[in-house]
Amino acid sequence: MVLVLALGDLHIPHRAPDLPAKFKSMLVPGKIQHIICTGNLCIKEVHDYLKTICPDLHITRGEYDEETRYPETKTLTIGQFKLGICHGHQVIPWGDLDSLAMLQRQLDVDILVTGHTHQFTAYKHEAGVVINPGSATGAYSSITYDVNPSFVLMDIDGLRVVVYVYELIDGEVKVDKIDFKKTTASANSAH
Amino acid sequence: MAISPVPMEPTGGALTETTLNSEDSRRFGNLRGVQWRIDLGILPSSPSSSVDDLRRVTANSRRRYAALRRQLLVDPHLPKDGSSSPDLVIDNPLSQNPDSMWGRFFKNAELERMVDQDLTRLYPEHGSYFQTSGCQGMLRRILLLWCLRHQEYGYRQGMHELLAPLLYVLHVDVEHLSEVRNMYEDYFTDKFDGFSFHESDLTYKFDFKKFSELMEDGNGSGKVAANASSLSQLDPNIQTIVLLSDAYGAEGELGVVLSEKFMEHDAYCMFDALMNGSGGAVAMAEFFSPSPFASSHTGFPPVIEASAALYHLLSLVDSSLHTHLVELGVEPQYFSLRWLRVLFGREFALEELLIVWDEIFACENCKLNKLAENDVDTSSGVLDSSRGAFISAFAVSMILYLRSSLLATENATSCLKRLLNFPDDVKLEKLIRKAKSLQALAVDANNSNPLLTQAGMFERSESAAVRGHSLSFDATSPRTPLTLVPDSYWEEKWRNLHKEEERKKDALEKQAPSIRKGWSEKVKLGLSRTESAPSSSSVDKRKKDPKLSVRRNLLEDLARQLGADEDTQSIMDDERADVKDQGVEDGQDFNDKFACTTEQTCLSGNAGSEENSSIFSDPPSPINGVNDHGNESGRSSVASNSSIDEHDGGTNTAELCAHNPEGLPLPVSDSPDDVSLEASPNDQTAAEKSTVGLKERKLLSSSKFQWLWKFGRGGGEGIPEKGQVSEANKGCSNRFDHDSVTRCSASNGGVILSSESSKGETVDQNVMLTLRNLGQSMLENIQVIESVFQQDRAQAAPAKNVLVGKGQVTARSALKELRKISNLLSEM
Repeated sequence: MVLVLALGDLHIPHRAPDLPAKFKSMLVPGKIQHIICTGNLCIKEVHDYLKTICPDLHITRGEYDEETRYPETKTLTIGQFKLGICHGHQVIPWGDLDSLAMLQRQLDVDILVTGHTHQFTAYKHEAGVVINPGSATGAYSSITYDVNPSFVLMDIDGLRVVVYVYELIDGEVKVDKIDFKKTTASANSAH
Repeated sequence: MAISPVPMEPTGGALTETTLNSEDSRRFGNLRGVQWRIDLGILPSSPSSSVDDLRRVTANSRRRYAALRRQLLVDPHLPKDGSSSPDLVIDNPLSQNPDSMWGRFFKNAELERMVDQDLTRLYPEHGSYFQTSGCQGMLRRILLLWCLRHQEYGYRQGMHELLAPLLYVLHVDVEHLSEVRNMYEDYFTDKFDGFSFHESDLTYKFDFKKFSELMEDGNGSGKVAANASSLSQLDPNIQTIVLLSDAYGAEGELGVVLSEKFMEHDAYCMFDALMNGSGGAVAMAEFFSPSPFASSHTGFPPVIEASAALYHLLSLVDSSLHTHLVELGVEPQYFSLRWLRVLFGREFALEELLIVWDEIFACENCKLNKLAENDVDTSSGVLDSSRGAFISAFAVSMILYLRSSLLATENATSCLKRLLNFPDDVKLEKLIRKAKSLQALAVDANNSNPLLTQAGMFERSESAAVRGHSLSFDATSPRTPLTLVPDSYWEEKWRNLHKEEERKKDALEKQAPSIRKGWSEKVKLGLSRTESAPSSSSVDKRKKDPKLSVRRNLLEDLARQLGADEDTQSIMDDERADVKDQGVEDGQDFNDKFACTTEQTCLSGNAGSEENSSIFSDPPSPINGVNDHGNESGRSSVASNSSIDEHDGGTNTAELCAHNPEGLPLPVSDSPDDVSLEASPNDQTAAEKSTVGLKERKLLSSSKFQWLWKFGRGGGEGIPEKGQVSEANKGCSNRFDHDSVTRCSASNGGVILSSESSKGETVDQNVMLTLRNLGQSMLENIQVIESVFQQDRAQAAPAKNVLVGKGQVTARSALKELRKISNLLSEM
């Protein structure tokens, strides 16, 4: 029962001052075991804040990050799942499923977490799952101004991962849930 | 040990009945698990209960445990109550809602962590059994379930040590069973109907060719039958074991009394019975609770009472030792807490402990003083049974064992050291014999123990010699605060936040409840420190609270300026007067309103309601500026009206308010009384004004402390829940609109006069700052009032009179004016 928080594209302080208060009140230390951040924090203070929520923090570099030493991509294993992280601005066309699937095969991961488009998406294809947690602050992106703040919490339990999507729509937090199961073969199957 | 044979019903027809032997000896003496279960009341204890009865009761208790487990162990992945689509906004893992599935999950995880901390340190010397993961898992689950079931006790250290020996004896029994099984294999074969079937043979052993072999088989089964019938000639112990573990007896496998599979269930039942006392007097759980026992007359926690009973018995038995210990200041609970909470588990090795517990459990646990419960002299409820008497007798015999070394020492620490490190090489039989001899005495002592009444305790403590004996009722024993499993900090905040939000669904303006709450908390925090020194001399204390420090600074400024420069002081008054002049009528209204409201609220506070947080006025400046008037009169009228009913829209309050438009409404404070009486009202010369001002400031500061203190007492409660105060508020404001004009002119006259006597125009920057802050705080007050109004509107308030309707309207306009003033102030 591992809880993994996935978020990114906060763009603090350039495009947004802070996480929404309702999100902040939910993110309390002690419940989450890992944090995956796709990038574009942008400053160290945000990094420190995320560290207070959970000390195990994995970040990849977004194009506006001021810390230059984050890697471009990262992989880690949690439970039975292999997760891959990348910011996504490197994958062109931005947000395109096929290109992301290529990246996923390159990294050889079951779950790929990318960002940059500031829109939440979760794709499932035969090789795995591609999740985009959107922008946690609702910052505008290069593509659109209409962004709802969102992030993703994954509950990894054995061969099953439950993805909870938290979105702030009209000032209210909406939660949605998606189930993914991994067959013992390396391919994911639809649930 | 001799066992009286168990009456057996024919199972499978092979066993014969035996008569019941009405000996006194224990039935299952060598099967501690069963014996203890009987003693603790789980299994029927009457000698005539058959094995089948035992089995049935066992099965029932196990079923209960299984149901409990299914119910309480939460798997967050499974939807609650079988609902197929849980409301995700509540049931997501990050939800702060403590009632959600995940909230409970995390709470249970927290509890489990606490239990684990203790379990890892359990009986390391017997680690081979207790530290195995299977055993630890069982202990953990049992403790977790018991604590979840009994939320009021929570988990306390020591519970695991009570549970461990219980599990241990069950384990020993099961081992014994397997030994017996090995020895007497034949009797344990799976013969549910008297036939035994060899695996490879045909069921119907009719081999037409080998008829002769059949004859042999027939003989074989006959032989088996013969074996079975000789069971009754076996040792009765073995008989009982066989019967108790027959998988096909009553209730089948669930009824197998000595069963490894159900050890957890049985241990839970035993633990539960031990903690609850099974309806008897000694309930171990009571020893873990800091709150007084329900029927006790002394109002002390049961542990304290029991310790006192202990000492009382000791005094009866060996008064010299007793007095010696009391003189040294050795309170009984220092050592007896540990003794009682784990039933001497820490003082003896495991094997010896089992013997001690045999004796303890052998005693009956029914309350002895049932009829005398109303009698004030009744003893400590928790030891009020023969089992309790034995416990205290045993403890006393332990103390007596150490008599010589205790009498030899002259200081409390070494006494305690001696008592807490009980020697290893003690002869248990001696102790037990002594305890038994004292038991009768203990029962009597319990019955006639006048010392346990409160008066008695005080008496004893006074009569004893020096060194801090008075049984300190608060913190002698390491008492942990007993609360429900407390909400974590975040969950509390969530709860508060949502409570307020629910009430402001149709808020006109965005409230900032957390701000207000934070503010009130800060004030409360600061005030709890001022509570003890509500005098102006405490102005110099440096507080962390910024709000309070603002006011303190103000006071200091005032004090300094007062001492140093009369002019500036009068200038300050002038400042405030100017402020008032700017928004003359409004200002007056505002002042009056605040004054009267504080008055009202103080009155209501006096009348008993303490949730006045929203109505207290903090700004000292306006009050300060116009406080040359009518202190005395205000005070007297306030005093005379202390019993006002706020709902009454009658003349009383109007009159009151009329007399005291800007009153310093503190009937509570005593010191200002002197001051105000000396104050000469309505004197307009600068010099006198300064002295008056000084006194008033003293008055003010002390009164302000009092206000803020009262505020703080109610402040932490968040939104005031009684409508009284707000009604008073409304009523007041209503009335004020009538009286405002007259009062306005009166006080304005005073103000203008004072301004005439002012000299320079230098403005102190500090004052500006403080004024600005005051404006801010006024703003917050306004918000608070508004929230109260909305809350009242939302609530269905009972019995509101017509005043309320008008009151609301006027209050609203008044609030708008307030807002204007505060804006002005903050702009300054």
